Amino acid sequence: MIRKIAFVSFVAAFSAIADDALPKADTILDRYIEVTGGKAAYEKRKTEITTGTVEFAAQGLKGTMTHYAEAPDKSYSVIELDGIGKMEEGVINGTVWDKNPMLGPRVKSGEEKAQGLRAAMFNSHLNWRKVYSKVETAGIETVEGEECYKVTLTPNEGKPENAFFSKSTGLEVKRTTTTVSPMGEMQVEAVASNYKPFDGVLEPTKVVQRVAGQELVITIQSIKVNPPIPAEKFEPPAEVKALMNK
Amino acid sequence: MRSFLGICLSLPLAAQLTPQQKQLNIDSFEQVWTTVRDHHWEKNPGGLDWKAIHDEYRPKMDQANSMEAARNVMRDMLGRLHQTHFGIIPANVYNDVDVAAGEGTPGIDLRVLDGQAVVTRVDSGSPAEKAGVKMGWAVTSVNGKDLAPVIEKLKADPNMHELTLERAVAARLSGPVGGRIHAEFLDGKDQKVPLDLALEEPRGSVSKFGNLPAQHVWFDSKNLGNVEYVSFNMFLDLPRVMGRFGDAVGSCPSCDGLIIDLRGNPGGIGGMAMGMAGFLVDKQDQKLGTMYMRDQTMKFAVIPRQQVFKGPVAVLVDGSSASTSEILAGGLKDLGRAKIFGTRSAAAALPSIISKLPNGDGFQYAMANYISEGGKPLEGAGVIPDVEVKLTRKALLEGHDSVLDAALDWIKKQRASK
Repeated sequence: MIRKIAFVSFVAAFSAIADDALPKADTILDRYIEVTGGKAAYEKRKTEITTGTVEFAAQGLKGTMTHYAEAPDKSYSVIELDGIGKMEEGVINGTVWDKNPMLGPRVKSGEEKAQGLRAAMFNSHLNWRKVYSKVETAGIETVEGEECYKVTLTPNEGKPENAFFSKSTGLEVKRTTTTVSPMGEMQVEAVASNYKPFDGVLEPTKVVQRVAGQELVITIQSIKVNPPIPAEKFEPPAEVKALMNK
Repeated sequence: MRSFLGICLSLPLAAQLTPQQKQLNIDSFEQVWTTVRDHHWEKNPGGLDWKAIHDEYRPKMDQANSMEAARNVMRDMLGRLHQTHFGIIPANVYNDVDVAAGEGTPGIDLRVLDGQAVVTRVDSGSPAEKAGVKMGWAVTSVNGKDLAPVIEKLKADPNMHELTLERAVAARLSGPVGGRIHAEFLDGKDQKVPLDLALEEPRGSVSKFGNLPAQHVWFDSKNLGNVEYVSFNMFLDLPRVMGRFGDAVGSCPSCDGLIIDLRGNPGGIGGMAMGMAGFLVDKQDQKLGTMYMRDQTMKFAVIPRQQVFKGPVAVLVDGSSASTSEILAGGLKDLGRAKIFGTRSAAAALPSIISKLPNGDGFQYAMANYISEGGKPLEGAGVIPDVEVKLTRKALLEGHDSVLDAALDWIKKQRASK
């Protein structure tokens, strides 16, 4: 889930970044991987279970979230929100689906599907060249009081994203994306903080997502690395399977 | 919804504020003003110089020496927008426990028809039904107070929505659960019938959604001679109401028609309109309308379900059908998917949220404008029925719901024309 929201982290290692010139985007992305644990630490990961809470504080809505992920591209997330119910989404064998009590089951297509596949790629930070056809440093901006490099990432399919990496720590502070759904295109801003180590890799444990004038706070409580996940966990519900067979 | 409409008529006692309370009110004022500045869909909210509005009202807030005075300053400021869904909800109403304390009902629904408060529904098993109250009876007084002058006064206010008027009248028949009211009715022969009625929990299940006060939500469905009829009092309790709606529609794929009764339904979660439309529209890439925020737009997209009801659909509305009810009815009308029966809806359809203020009050604010698929805003205009039918006391006394009858006749004709 957290990745879907924006925190696809990034690759490789590099060292000194000159203060007086903009570093290459590759360098910034590589540094992120380095400062969050390094390529080897990421490569050890094959499965993950992330749990946390979600809250629309202004509206008083709270819930829980659990995200299951397995290399190379299986994903299943469930959010249970008070007053709304159970919202599920998943990716399996190239099919991207979701199901919620409001709109029912759905199989995604087009740009929305591409977006889902990107989000589901396990360790996508190590494979960013497969995800983005173009990356470039767009400037320096102050984000949440921190000077950041702004990197524009253009995916193979879909709208460009902007990621902001702290000049001092190399950590990703913010990402802005354009999400696509039947409701249209929405600008999403996600701010990450409270990075903590989970089995050798730093992950943000607080993400504040702003979209359409509303703010969602996601707080990660635990990330289990390489737990066994039964194959059926990634199986779509029967209603989704019926749509897949249509 | 009923819970906070009661505030229009409440007269809390003024109490002296401590310096801390005063500061919390000032902080609340600033939050209200800033929220409108930052979240209203127009850069100049309501076409106003919003900074000038701040400078006009802030000194008044500094002078406000009671909670009610502070609320009135904020309400007056919001009133300058001349838009619905902007309001201050007192903490005692906002608070679940206090709301529940005033929700007792004798089990009837009312509409104001020709200046009279007329019973349009008597809940099965309710104190009113046990006491013999019938559809079409008029309530003339409650606890010794005549309703006619109240109705006349409220109707004289040009800003009074029918929804607010009816809720205000209904509020006079409510009170603490376990309490009693003394009401005087006129029966079918216009004979006075004095009754002492117990107040019970409203029907339905209690549902809580975010900062909204807890609400009793009910859903009814029945088959009327091979026409499926559904009715529910609010677009809340999403998992249950959406599930029941889907079950009702899915239970009758070969029915002659479907009637969705949204009369008296004040709305709720806007997205539920999209979900319900998905059971009725099988064409891809359709939408009920578009929500316009300051920097973004959001389509109220219809995602067809696997099983879609394809027969005739009638939607019943009245002046108390508001918000999500209007989004659903207006969108289905604009898509040519439903015929609308009844009277013009409340014309109050701005998407809004309720947040908590530093002083404990609730603040409801609209964060978007909404344009129905036909290209017209629902706010201020409402949904105009295809077939205008007014409820009458006479018909109700004869056991007829003229709006429902008109919808059933139309469905019958659709079947006959096949």
